[in-house]
Amino acid sequence: MSSTHPEVPGEPTKTGTAFLETATATIQSFAPINQIHQHLCAFHFYSYDMTRQVEAHHYCAHQNEEMRQCLIYDSPDADARLIGLEYVISEPLFLTLPDDEKRLWHSHEYEVKSGLLFMPGVPGPIERQDMEKLAKTYGKVFHFWQVDRKDNLPLGIPQVMMAFTRDGQIYEDLVKDVEDRYGISVAKERENRAYISGSTHGIHPLANGGGKGLKTELREVDCKAPDSVPRVFV
Amino acid sequence: MASSDKTPTSALPMGGDPRPPGQPMTVEQHMIDKGAQILQSLKPVKQMSQHACTFALYSHDMTRQIETHHYITRLNEDFLQCAVYDTDHAHGRLIGIEYMISERIFEALPPDEQKLWHSHAYEIKSGLWVNPRVPGILEKPELEKLVKTYGKFWCTWQVDRGDRLPLGAPALMMSPQPVNLGQVSPDLVRMRDNKYNISTEALRESRVELLEPEPINSQADYWKHHGKGFAIGIKVTDIKLRAPFP
Repeated sequence: MSSTHPEVPGEPTKTGTAFLETATATIQSFAPINQIHQHLCAFHFYSYDMTRQVEAHHYCAHQNEEMRQCLIYDSPDADARLIGLEYVISEPLFLTLPDDEKRLWHSHEYEVKSGLLFMPGVPGPIERQDMEKLAKTYGKVFHFWQVDRKDNLPLGIPQVMMAFTRDGQIYEDLVKDVEDRYGISVAKERENRAYISGSTHGIHPLANGGGKGLKTELREVDCKAPDSVPRVFV
Repeated sequence: MASSDKTPTSALPMGGDPRPPGQPMTVEQHMIDKGAQILQSLKPVKQMSQHACTFALYSHDMTRQIETHHYITRLNEDFLQCAVYDTDHAHGRLIGIEYMISERIFEALPPDEQKLWHSHAYEIKSGLWVNPRVPGILEKPELEKLVKTYGKFWCTWQVDRGDRLPLGAPALMMSPQPVNLGQVSPDLVRMRDNKYNISTEALRESRVELLEPEPINSQADYWKHHGKGFAIGIKVTDIKLRAPFP
């Protein structure tokens, strides 16, 4: 398991370290991780800048039928960088969110129907069973590592990401690259998914940033200076 | 708009139930999952090799402290990435991501970036950071490395304030420190220790000789020297488009 990542700074993992980690992996319980059953490949863009687009590999676990939590990596490989996370919820759950919160979530209908969102290695008929559900869901994504600007470390503050919502937004060569690597045809899959319907109530007008961009900013806030706090704990 | 230090109003009932709202998984979904699991390789996730249980504090309100479960992948000798959950049970909620870097890499960061990071020396030496079920002797070589690292931890689901779904902006977290604001509530530690039948006290004694960074960079643990925490706000802005949206 020792590795050199081509872009993350640092020495390759030494043999001693790798051995230890194999040992701990067999002794410990990885229960939340063992719930991760699914790999989905999709694309995100920075919510304030559609010209910056990223391929995003999602590794998803269900909390229940209506909620998933996903780790997002920049590739499906062993040395993939953990760049963010996504939460996916059903339409009924989405409708319970306060309005300000709804803006942070994006619809999945177009991603599914266009064929852009797919499950590598899974045959169409099985994949489509899940796509039927996903088409009606909303997602919330934060990225912490801006790999598209060639950062070799997770610098800066979290970024709200959005998903594509209509033709003409995604870069053709981003799609072609994935098609070539996985031997798939997005256009063909779009035809196969023509029967899939989106959310019952239609895409909510506040979702997808309400059509606006969302920019995160860092604020310093006061916290009590250590000396001014009476000693509470012995 | 949203801000990590403001409590959102929520239509959902707050508090109590650690499980998010929603119907239980259907048989059909289980079968889709099973199928995917057999056919897909899930390689990045299989690289996680360590589980650590520790504590973190919200940088904008250090009286709020949580027990965390880190599932850790080492990318190389100087860099680790962690998926963070609120428990090590199957229904654990994914509450954030932490990155850990060596002293060497940290020292090369610009000061404005450094202030978002926290040191691990006290957290580890005090026995707060544990690898459940791993014998001390196996743990030692790894801790010798980790004790010198710095971490950056974004929490995206504030479960301790009763959020049943992940609301708002990510919050920057800080690590336990040996001064007042940074000390973890003994009750929280006791609950953790009972769960794993361990003693944080005893671990502290066994870790006394671990070498910390000399000195710990004063940009890290920013609140200690500057009395300031951080909050992330989200504001509405124009989008740089290349096609109509949405």
